[in-house]
Amino acid sequence: MKFDRPSMIHPLFSQWRRAAAALMLVMVLFLTGCQPKTPSPYAQIQKETAKPGAVAVAKQATQGSEFNKLFPKPEAGYERVFSQEKKGFAEAKLKKAGQDVAMLSVSDTSSVPTAAAKYANATTKIGGYPSVTVGNTLTSVLVGKYQVKVQSKVPTFTAADRATWIEKFDLRGIEKLG
Amino acid sequence: MSKPIFERVDQLATSGTTIMALNALDFVIPGQWNNLTGFNTTIRTVTGESDEGLIQQIGERAVALYNDESQGYQRAMWLYETVDNASGALGMAAMANKIGQDISFLGFLDKLTPKPEKAQSIDLCVKLVVELVAYCQINGIPGDSIGDFLAALGDYGGESLMRMVALICFDGLIPLGPDFVDKGLSTIANLTPKELEGNQTFKGVSNLIPGGDAAGKLGFIGQSFDSVKGWMTGFVSDKGLTQENALGNLQKFVQVSGDKLDYVGAFLDVSVKYYSHTGTQTLARRLIERAIAEI
Repeated sequence: MKFDRPSMIHPLFSQWRRAAAALMLVMVLFLTGCQPKTPSPYAQIQKETAKPGAVAVAKQATQGSEFNKLFPKPEAGYERVFSQEKKGFAEAKLKKAGQDVAMLSVSDTSSVPTAAAKYANATTKIGGYPSVTVGNTLTSVLVGKYQVKVQSKVPTFTAADRATWIEKFDLRGIEKLG
Repeated sequence: MSKPIFERVDQLATSGTTIMALNALDFVIPGQWNNLTGFNTTIRTVTGESDEGLIQQIGERAVALYNDESQGYQRAMWLYETVDNASGALGMAAMANKIGQDISFLGFLDKLTPKPEKAQSIDLCVKLVVELVAYCQINGIPGDSIGDFLAALGDYGGESLMRMVALICFDGLIPLGPDFVDKGLSTIANLTPKELEGNQTFKGVSNLIPGGDAAGKLGFIGQSFDSVKGWMTGFVSDKGLTQENALGNLQKFVQVSGDKLDYVGAFLDVSVKYYSHTGTQTLARRLIERAIAEI
């Protein structure tokens, strides 16, 4: 038996199909709209550190003011401008002709144990203390529980300059603070 | 718990009235302020590093530092946000946000109330004090002497300097005219603690202003303003800043009318949130600088 195809579709069915298509479209939009956004790479640390009582700075950390006098003294051609002083941390900018060339810092690793752990594999020393170079701009030494770090702010301030300026800190004095 | 720092930096505006108004001040400090947005982009720019693993480590330490309430970063953020919101009527601010980019000065001129000179002068002083208090919350008091501390303050650059330029222009020169520093000083000198307590901007941030009671806080505000007046007048004359050139440059970006200056001040109050915008940028920068040093 041969059917006339168009007549097979009952008008009600046709309406239902249209309605179903509309419903599907709504569902698709709804589902795509509700899809979770890619979680931020910082979602985990946020969860861990936003808890009540979570601290980022160890109670026993040395006050930043203790570090100030042990920083390199300003010398000809260079200006030293202290920029931050918090518990367990002090930082100064090193400027040359008005331009920031490096950041000088001392921090107490009791707040960030992984900072100290990275020196376990250190193969180099500066001023007698284990040293590491990280990224393109960072050189640091571990002095007792303190990390002394110099960061280049311009390419002309080289890794060799960083090592030179690390030695200008009173490293023995810093070690004695611990 | 307040909003995470990475979200705040990721959500910083890239367009709108605040950005246009700040860009209008580029002529004062050419090229010194770039509207740096996005947490990882900020880390890359501030540190000069590109290794993804290292960036993640720096970001994680910065997030943890911000979340530790004892470190003062959240208090600084609260100050920046509150001083912005308190200086403009809240309802107006909501309206300005709705209109967004197409905000037109003339379009809602009839809804603005010019701010009396006295209230504007108090605003200027309170905002400056907020900057000092927020600075100390973020950076501590760097160095061992007043000289060290003044050197740190004098080393303002980038978004921090832009915030001060905006303070001078939007809350000083444009609404109060060339003798805005004297107006600020004499207003504070003649103010009673009760009048200070009645000021909307002061009310918003009063908790974190040192000095104890209203009289003590008034004293602190007066002393602070007095100590930076030299820097401000020096800056204005060094840069050749005038009410005319500040307004002229603003008019290139934002449609404001020069013959209704008292309204322009009110308009800027409700539509330009420069403290929270540049304050978030400053905070992110300082956190990242500390994080990279500590990891």
